[in-house]
Amino acid sequence: MTFITNKMTKSLAITAVAVGFLFIAGCAANKSTKTAAATSKPAVWPLTLKDPATTESGAQIWAENCMRCHELRSPSQYTPAQWGIIVQYMRLKAGLTGTQAKKVLAFLQSASAH
Amino acid sequence: MTHRRGVLTSIAAALTIIPMAAASAAPAAGGADYTKLEQKYQLLEKQMAGMAKQMSAMQKQQAALKATQAKTGATKTKAIDREVKRLYRRVVKASQKISELEPGNIQVLIAGDVNFQFQNIQGSHSTFYADSSPMIQVRIDKNIFINTAFDFYTQAGVAGGSAADIGAANINYELNNYMTLGGGLVTSPIGGIVGVYNPAPWNRWLVDGSVEDALLPGNELGVWTRGGLPAPARMGYLTYFLFVSNGPALARTTDQNGATYNNLQFGNWDPAAQNGKTIGGRFSYIPIPNIEIGYSFEWARPSADGAITTTNSLINAVDLNSYYVNKKIDGLFRFRGGWTWDQVGQGIDSTGTFSLGGMSNGGQLEVAYQPSLCGIKYLDRVMAAIRYDRIDGPVSSNFSNGASHEQRYSIGLDYWLHSNAVLKVEYEFDNLSNNMHGNNAMFLQFAVGI
Ligand code: HEC
Repeated sequence: MTFITNKMTKSLAITAVAVGFLFIAGCAANKSTKTAAATSKPAVWPLTLKDPATTESGAQIWAENCMRCHELRSPSQYTPAQWGIIVQYMRLKAGLTGTQAKKVLAFLQSASAH
Repeated sequence: MTHRRGVLTSIAAALTIIPMAAASAAPAAGGADYTKLEQKYQLLEKQMAGMAKQMSAMQKQQAALKATQAKTGATKTKAIDREVKRLYRRVVKASQKISELEPGNIQVLIAGDVNFQFQNIQGSHSTFYADSSPMIQVRIDKNIFINTAFDFYTQAGVAGGSAADIGAANINYELNNYMTLGGGLVTSPIGGIVGVYNPAPWNRWLVDGSVEDALLPGNELGVWTRGGLPAPARMGYLTYFLFVSNGPALARTTDQNGATYNNLQFGNWDPAAQNGKTIGGRFSYIPIPNIEIGYSFEWARPSADGAITTTNSLINAVDLNSYYVNKKIDGLFRFRGGWTWDQVGQGIDSTGTFSLGGMSNGGQLEVAYQPSLCGIKYLDRVMAAIRYDRIDGPVSSNFSNGASHEQRYSIGLDYWLHSNAVLKVEYEFDNLSNNMHGNNAMFLQFAVGI
């Protein structure tokens, strides 16, 4: 990589990061241009919860706790059986009780089967 | 009415699972066991078929009511809605029971991450780097779980070009609602933030690790108990993680200025260190799901390095992990921080003239913001992150030029292609004490969580 000098990569990286920061600042300033559709977007990126009312507490525990360390993955990304494995593991990472984990699993499995 | 369609699909799915499960049970379970299981299945199957009938009847009723609703129907529809929801919950419960009953249902998942990056660190040649941490997760039954993680990486300039390591190999047994017992190699809870990212750190906002990592065990090889429980008076949750593991080794390093430091070397593979066991743990408080505050400690008697006698070592660490999602701020804000103090006692060498001991500390503060709710296409996937991290000696390996501390500022931008695929760019400003410049660095990374 001799043709890419340290200086070049440094200024490239800094410019890229700076441009990105400006964009984000621009978004905040642009608030008024938002559409109603954008406002009703769910709070979690960019998933729509299938059935928040019917499995409320499981969905809530999932949406709130599983968001602490990483983005939420769509329930449809895994099969119900795979969620069984994942929740058994992530329960430990998230420090959930068995009851909480069961609720999260029931929600993910029902949403995944859709 | 998505949920009604969903209900029917899940009933249909559950009903198709049953004969399949029963069929797979036949060769595995023998005699009385099998008959018993089959009876249970048949019972559940009947129950579910009954529920399905009931539900479709109600749904028809519901649809008819809605069609002729006019002004009168409002309360009746509500009652039926409620009933449909109640049934839905029962169906979910029943299908869960079925999956727990399935015999021979050892389930395996391949997870982990793959990262590909370009890095240019001052003082070193720029290089491409690739890293893959595949994990094999196995659910033996509803209480037993195995996790194995590998780490394969390849980098120009590294002797041989590539290397492999193991990041996790552990068995966990869920004893009850509040306690899981485990043994093997596991991500250490010390420092808290490590557990947020490891062993497959695709979810870092910044590519490079924090300098705090140099003071942390990274992983532990031992036995543990961990779990979560409700805090008194319904004030959130508490978690605990207590372990006994192999201890660290004490290493003595002399830098180019002749200064000699002690250094805890983790890794758990050094047989000399394994007689000095470690006890440690982490406790955390989760007042609301958005915030976790942790304290962790690890005490050991690291064995001698060469002529230095065995001594005491104590690590204390605090950590915080939080996020806030709100329309008012147009998206997602995350804040993570952690600080670690490593205290190593006096180690006297055989001549009696050389003694060492002391404190190292280091930590990080990182914030990230993603306008995920700003409603502007593409921009809602951009995350900006800033980190400050600092480490204070004596940790000689980090300070070959005699500086006593190092501090860095990192800025990064991530573009989230998907919830588990991200492009990252980062620039790191590195400063040592005495106004010496460290090695500034830039990174580009494409990371995917599997
Ligand atoms: C303490 C941080 C933390 C919390 C809380 C957390 N996760 Fe994870 N999660 C991780 C890490 C780190 C990984 C990457 C795999 C690894 O390194 O162990 C991961 C990986 C995953 C994966 C990829 C598949 C796998 O098994 O590795 C899924 C899916 C997942 N998490 C779902 C969840 C769910 C659901 C919850 C809530 C119950 C949750 N996570 C809570 C840290 C966390």
